Amino acid sequence: MSKEVFLDCLGEACPIPLVKTEKALAKLEKGDVLIVEVDHSCAMKNVPEWAIKHGHNVEIEEVEDGQWNIFIEKV
Amino acid sequence: MTEKSIISKVSTSRSSGKKKSKINQIPIGLLVLAIMIGIGFWLNTKSSNLVLFWVTGLAFGFILQRSRFCFTASLRDPYLTGSTSLTKAVLIAFALTSIGFAAIQYGTGVEPYIAPLSLATCIGAFMFGIGMVVAGGCASGTLMRVGEGFFMNMIALIFFIVGSLIGAYHTGFWDYNFRVNAPQISLYSGALGILGGVIANLAIIAVVYVIAHKWGNRKKND
Amino acid sequence: MKKFFDKVKNNEFYKAWFKDAFPYITGAVLLSVFQIITYITTGSPWGVSGVFADWGAWIFRALGGSVDRWFAYSSPSAQATLEAGILNHAGSWRNIGIIVGALFATLMASGFKFKKIKSFKQVIAAMIGGLLMGYGAKVALGCNIGAFFSSIAVGNVAGWVFAVFLFLGAIVGSKLLVKFFM
Repeated sequence: MSKEVFLDCLGEACPIPLVKTEKALAKLEKGDVLIVEVDHSCAMKNVPEWAIKHGHNVEIEEVEDGQWNIFIEKV
Repeated sequence: MTEKSIISKVSTSRSSGKKKSKINQIPIGLLVLAIMIGIGFWLNTKSSNLVLFWVTGLAFGFILQRSRFCFTASLRDPYLTGSTSLTKAVLIAFALTSIGFAAIQYGTGVEPYIAPLSLATCIGAFMFGIGMVVAGGCASGTLMRVGEGFFMNMIALIFFIVGSLIGAYHTGFWDYNFRVNAPQISLYSGALGILGGVIANLAIIAVVYVIAHKWGNRKKND
Repeated sequence: MKKFFDKVKNNEFYKAWFKDAFPYITGAVLLSVFQIITYITTGSPWGVSGVFADWGAWIFRALGGSVDRWFAYSSPSAQATLEAGILNHAGSWRNIGIIVGALFATLMASGFKFKKIKSFKQVIAAMIGGLLMGYGAKVALGCNIGAFFSSIAVGNVAGWVFAVFLFLGAIVGSKLLVKFFM
């Protein structure tokens, strides 16, 4: 059963969303989806970049002005 | 390895939520543009030099934000996340700018100010390195993020100013104990000549680039 | 009106120029272009942190203090700069320009949002980080722009030395960040 996990990184400064994403993703199983909520313009670029580099499926959605949800499906 | 691919299995109530009108800030942006132009005209009544600085500042701010360029990340990410994409971008900027600056030095025959090299350079750089990572942005990054609305970086800016003032107060100490008689070494103004110097600079950049590229391709735990 | 802005939102040029993030390389090229413009037109490469010491002096004055007898501000040109005030200070306008340019970019992408303080840890981190940057830039005679980017680009070996120690500092900063501020 693949599950969805939310990771709230709103208001976090630069590297923190990515560091938290790495840790959270490590705990998930194949097929699970991590949904990272960010409002940092750096994070909406470097988190997907990191996830794609590690082979996961990624999609970003702009939720509202200045806020994104990054969907990472662990592969 | 797939690039971005659509996740069809995800069905969260959040993802189906409509984003609030995406363009409601553009009018405000245009208002800011009008203010930018207005300030430009006003500055022009004082001096065209001020307009120049204003416009280049606007350009730097716009470019930094649009490309999410971050010097802090270029030096922090290789260690913290293994990513060197910004490191390489920064190196490319160094290379292009070096070529331009060398050409200008050649064309004008004027040497730019070369800051002295001393232990103070090392100490100051080390302090700055710690500070920029902890604060979540370097000098340019802090200004950029103030413009983006980050309260944390506004606090960092205030304390950057405070730190600068204290540092200014101690200028004599650092000058006297470290900088007096310190050498000023420019690759472009030495035995290599300008051409040799810029080639040397580019060579260093190239070596670091290759190292950064290889480091970035390492995948931890894979 | 809404239809008009909807059209804008879907326009390919709007997306490319104002909405989607530029690749880092694009940023690198454009920054280089403006560094070169800066050097040609002002005679000096881009710098950011020097201005903050002037801002500090003006604020200090406004609060009743005086830097007039400080060695750092003793030169005639430094005194003249302080006397002329911030509105006449070119470097200040460049730094303010960075803030406004970034603001403009964010608004045009409809991505502006106030990011409020989330925890007291962030305040401490911002304070410590800011102080270290401000003081460190004074000690090293520049920041990531003046003593790093610009310095390397003018061929200054000190720029490379700065780079090495900046990197070491960033490692220490990262450890501190993860240990205390996450």
